[in-house]
Amino acid sequence: MELTKIKKQIIAFNVLGIALVSCGGVPEEKSATATEEKAFSVEEVLEMVAKENDVTRTLYTKAIVGKGKKQGMKFDEDWRKDDVEAGPLPALFLRGVATSIRKGPVPLGLYLGSDFPVNAANKFEGKQAELFDQIKKDQKPQFFYDEDQKLHTAMFADLASAGACVSCHNDHPQTTKSDWKLGDVMGATTWQYPKDSLTYKETVAVLNSYAKGTVDIYMEYLDEIEAFKESEKPEIGNKWPEEGNYLPTAEVFLDSVRKLASYETMKQLVASK
Amino acid sequence: MFKVSPLRKRQVIGGVIGLVLGSSLFYILTLDSTEAYVSIGPMNTGHQDLSCFACHADAKGNLMQQIQSNISHAFGARSEGVDFGTQDVTVDNCLECHDRANDRHPTYRFSEPRFKDAIKVINATTCITCHTEHHDKERVSLKTADYCMNCHQKLVVENDPLDISHEDLISNQQWTTCIQCHDFHGNHRYEVPEQMKDTIPLLEVKKYFEGGTDPYGTDKKYIALSQEEWLKKLNKN
Repeated sequence: MELTKIKKQIIAFNVLGIALVSCGGVPEEKSATATEEKAFSVEEVLEMVAKENDVTRTLYTKAIVGKGKKQGMKFDEDWRKDDVEAGPLPALFLRGVATSIRKGPVPLGLYLGSDFPVNAANKFEGKQAELFDQIKKDQKPQFFYDEDQKLHTAMFADLASAGACVSCHNDHPQTTKSDWKLGDVMGATTWQYPKDSLTYKETVAVLNSYAKGTVDIYMEYLDEIEAFKESEKPEIGNKWPEEGNYLPTAEVFLDSVRKLASYETMKQLVASK
Repeated sequence: MFKVSPLRKRQVIGGVIGLVLGSSLFYILTLDSTEAYVSIGPMNTGHQDLSCFACHADAKGNLMQQIQSNISHAFGARSEGVDFGTQDVTVDNCLECHDRANDRHPTYRFSEPRFKDAIKVINATTCITCHTEHHDKERVSLKTADYCMNCHQKLVVENDPLDISHEDLISNQQWTTCIQCHDFHGNHRYEVPEQMKDTIPLLEVKKYFEGGTDPYGTDKKYIALSQEEWLKKLNKN
């Protein structure tokens, strides 16, 4: 009699257990790409996107800021303020790209720093300061794994690639160094990504998120121009500031970036196949 | 149909009462009108009209599936557990209404390695470090207003317009004076004073932190979305 009761209890317990686990749980969120082959190491991808960044920033600094200034266009750190009718300085253009990336689904981090920044809050410290010393010596990228945040981190030299970089930083009222020369390592970009290797699809997503960031911040600049009350608004179309008071549309700007950067990037993407 | 042994009568009655009571409580406490009783504390100033779901979205799957998934996870049958009941609230939830292009201290910036030591003291990578919800009607939950010292010790201001230089304020460790001129997120449109006597008294800033009137003025570049505007935005996407 007692044995039957225990048997019944065991059966009831098992039935309850099976009922609990048999209805089908929440589908596991396996990444859609989990079964896809990893095509690139995180270092390779960050080098690719850093190269795109170099081209984009150089184009913006030379063709928009440098030539634009000659046409009377203004660029300012307070460009977002309502009473300032100006565009973003190159460092803030990069900050805008970084902000846009963080709003998207790609877990890519992008930062800019220096040992002589205009804004003291952008001065490297700790591990980044150590690695930046090495970058200044050989201009080679530096990679490390950020244990605290569990992020793969890369640093790339940010060079004075245009006359406007040198003149603006040397003449800036808050500058901490006024003898910058063309070609100097003025700072470094820091990039972060959580995985050690990426599929082809993830790699393209990283590159696209950077390109989208470029378009977003450039569009914000064009929106600011639209709201100018006192300054003369440049004509926005296919022409560049080199030809007069013109600015390219976001599409024209991005097209030029792609023409300049895509060969190198494509070579790497295709080589992996 | 059911034969209840007289010895188990009390157990059965108790079980039925428990089931009815439990179901009723579950039904009543999940009604919109009883949200105030379920909430673990008052909402911050500005959030008082929000419904729970504005931040606490339902977790994926039904309760049974969530229990099963977490049991499977506990026994190693699946790699990750799942949220139970509601999803965790993250910075992304806050930014759905408070995203501002002009934020001078966006949370993501503090993920950069060089802020490693600073975020050990004040974790600025997440909104709730300073804006704790369900605590009081406050706006800012920090006990002191001297947090600028964690990153701005080396600040240099050329052609300093202030009658007492920033350099002196920093060397005298007067870190609560920063907030008397500069709002942390930089969204207010107002003239920054050039004389210390014209700055916002710390007491007013404290009252603002506690949910009082805004001493920086009401003119802001970006206004946070209301629940209705947020819902409209969600439906559009």
